[in-house]
Amino acid sequence: MTDTTLIQLKEEVKAVIIKTLNINKINPESIDTSAPLFAPDNPFGLDSVDAIDIIMTVQKHFDVRIADQNLARDVLESIDTLAEFIHREKSK
Amino acid sequence: MKEIVFEHKMAAHCESGTVTAQLNHAGLEITEPMVFGIASGIFFGYFESSNFPFPMFIVRNRPGSMRKNIAKRLGVKFYSKDFRKPQKGIDELDRLLAEGRPVATQVDFYYMEFLPEFMRTHVNVHFVNIIGKNENTYLVSDSYARQKAELAVETLNKARFVGGYMAPKGFLFYPKYIPENIDFDKAIIKGIKKAAHDMIKLPVPFIGIKGMRKFAKKVTGWPELARDIDHLSHEIMKINVLLEDQGTGGAGFRFLYATFLQQASQKLKDSQLEGMSKRMMLIGDDWRNISYFAAKIGKNRDLGKERLEELSQMIYNMADQEQVFFTELYKMVK
Repeated sequence: MTDTTLIQLKEEVKAVIIKTLNINKINPESIDTSAPLFAPDNPFGLDSVDAIDIIMTVQKHFDVRIADQNLARDVLESIDTLAEFIHREKSK
Repeated sequence: MKEIVFEHKMAAHCESGTVTAQLNHAGLEITEPMVFGIASGIFFGYFESSNFPFPMFIVRNRPGSMRKNIAKRLGVKFYSKDFRKPQKGIDELDRLLAEGRPVATQVDFYYMEFLPEFMRTHVNVHFVNIIGKNENTYLVSDSYARQKAELAVETLNKARFVGGYMAPKGFLFYPKYIPENIDFDKAIIKGIKKAAHDMIKLPVPFIGIKGMRKFAKKVTGWPELARDIDHLSHEIMKINVLLEDQGTGGAGFRFLYATFLQQASQKLKDSQLEGMSKRMMLIGDDWRNISYFAAKIGKNRDLGKERLEELSQMIYNMADQEQVFFTELYKMVK
């Protein structure tokens, strides 16, 4: 995958999260894709229920399964890590 | 810090991960899903008892069973010991470490302070490997942590000798003998047979598929057992914790078992097991749907009769699916 494609994937992941969690107040361009998704000051303000929601949506949208919670903690660290995980799984 | 050379790996579940890491260190090449499957780790039980403040369920076999079943089916011999007197348990751990031996030990998960605080709850049946010690700290390889971590000596001692239900009593173990020739094919078949038997055939109303149906029936009555809506919400959200967070959760255990079946199909050159693996993945997805549903209605305090009946129906559906699944699996290995 080229850098451009990975950047596009990150944008797609960002858009999917915004749509899944119905977040309308945030300008997508203001979101830093490397910022922690579950930090208290993250603009998404996600909790554990949102995490499962994202896991299930990622599976439906990208056809990749995040199979255990330890893996999920790593993968859902940021939009960047999630996009990189999807990229790795799709490349298998 | 005197550190023993030990490969730290994350794992889906603490007990299967700890046992796998110990076996790998001792020279036996085996994966975590294979340990989980051979040890018949997949399970279901629904419990209402005076031991628990509220009904609870488990989605894996009894803590400690993985090591025991691996010993039985692979012929591995483990050194294991628990202690009535903490000082004896501390001395024994230190003695084994001084011999250069990594040691698995049972702890209260809450004291694993190197993990994020939101993860840590009091659970007396967490397993970690201890791989070094200096004057003030132990070096811990916890399969839930990204890397090895130091833990204060007094904190680990507290975690090993805390009281309460299923108190760890300083329990420790390591493999002292690995057979040269292991019949993995036979062990896989035995592991599958025992798991499928316990899911469909045990004549106990709260175990296996019967336990799932009991859970489905009883969950609609949980409002009568809860003190108030906050308590009910907490207990319903705990379904999510048990399915997704604790151990690896029901969905996670199903995914782990699916991976075992996939690896077993390659080992036994049995394409039917490959198909069963794919079906188990889908069953895991459906458990995850339940987890999400429970978390959502719990969080939103949307806990009226209709919602709980919906939840109950979802659990009944899982019981139906797993009954068909494990009946077929049992026939395959009978």
